[in-house]
Amino acid sequence: MANAWRQYRALVNQGVRAELADLERLVSPVLFAITLLLLFAFAMGDVDDSLRIRVYLAETMLTALFALQVSFARLFEPDRQDRVFDLLRAYPVSHTALFLAKYSLILILGTATMIPTLVFGAFLNQTANQHLFSWSVVGISLLALAGLGALGVLLSAMTLKANARQILYPLLYFPLTAPVLLGAVQSSRLCLDGGRAAADIKAWLGLLLGFDCIYVTLGILLFTELVDES
Amino acid sequence: MLAITNLSFSFQHRRLFDRLSLTANSGELIHISGPNGVGKSTFMAVVAGLLAPASGDIEYRIGHQAVPDRRAYLEYLPAEANGLYTKMDATQNLLFWAHLRGVPLSREAAFAALDPWNLNHPLLRDGFPVEKFSTGMKRRLALARLDLSPVPGWLLDEPLYGLDADAMRVFRQRLETHLLKGGFALLISHDLAPLNGLITRTINLSKGNKHDG
Repeated sequence: MANAWRQYRALVNQGVRAELADLERLVSPVLFAITLLLLFAFAMGDVDDSLRIRVYLAETMLTALFALQVSFARLFEPDRQDRVFDLLRAYPVSHTALFLAKYSLILILGTATMIPTLVFGAFLNQTANQHLFSWSVVGISLLALAGLGALGVLLSAMTLKANARQILYPLLYFPLTAPVLLGAVQSSRLCLDGGRAAADIKAWLGLLLGFDCIYVTLGILLFTELVDES
Repeated sequence: MLAITNLSFSFQHRRLFDRLSLTANSGELIHISGPNGVGKSTFMAVVAGLLAPASGDIEYRIGHQAVPDRRAYLEYLPAEANGLYTKMDATQNLLFWAHLRGVPLSREAAFAALDPWNLNHPLLRDGFPVEKFSTGMKRRLALARLDLSPVPGWLLDEPLYGLDADAMRVFRQRLETHLLKGGFALLISHDLAPLNGLITRTINLSKGNKHDG
């Protein structure tokens, strides 16, 4: 257990250092999200106030989903260079420690992408009478990130040595994100509507939490197999 | 002691080695030989735990007892790759691999480990990404990583690749020290002159089934 904890810390530290050493990787998903939000704003034009919350959430959550995919798909990129990943496999590294380290890294990267996306999305869509930025939505988005992140690690490991990785990854990722996206958008919409339908919010949050648990559990269980097969 | 028993491996219906057995004892340097494509690097990858054999056992034994995870006793250096994070500097790479192994290593100790390999210069060791190193410098850094590791078994696949004459001398010296301290090594190399007199045994993979004690 002490070994696994030490390995987890070493892997997280290394992951963060590797990201900071290559800031382009860290910044590019945020720039991608901002560009996409601007394009959505131009494409949508004037939106009726009654639809504003729905449009904001649809645009922002979808943008975040695409930006996260850009970020997640490159999770193992530093490890693929110079056969680092092979060397990791030749070390007595606990696979659970490796999964949790990559998962923690993805949560850090995801948060760094998610929060600017939500802030910028709210800024583009709000009016003088209607402020859209909400900490509840931030909380729900981070809950969604917990599930998407586990899925991201799992699929990154799965496509690590696939030649058609750039095609394969989104093909696997997007269909599996549907329940998380649905739960996040619906619970956020109900929160922004004034939080009157507490029972409905609970139901959607339950769906979100349920899929978080499923993806994290699957991640821990399948990661060992995927690493051994790499 | 590393004990390999009846090891077989096939790749796309082609049998690369069949019922190969060998033991590597303390102080031994075993040269794995054979022509290109015979499966030497594959053999090394199997021993390192990167590929699953078709059959056979690979055990690291302490006394008569096999350890649960042989990787804790083996250090692998692949051919034509060094296992280095290319955006990181030399010191960060050494610290990472040492910490992952559970070796408490200070920055000063990492600098000292870089010294024999002629990499202990402030402009090289700190803030200078490894991707800007030459082929030989990367190999020297990979060998410094290996040298820092406290494990007894070294799996060396073309360790001399890209090294200049000075670095080859340093490598020979470090390998000799490792063997004298009770370590062992399996070696693949097409250039044996720099290691003249160190090799204790040769296993030729092109000669069919091999068995040794």
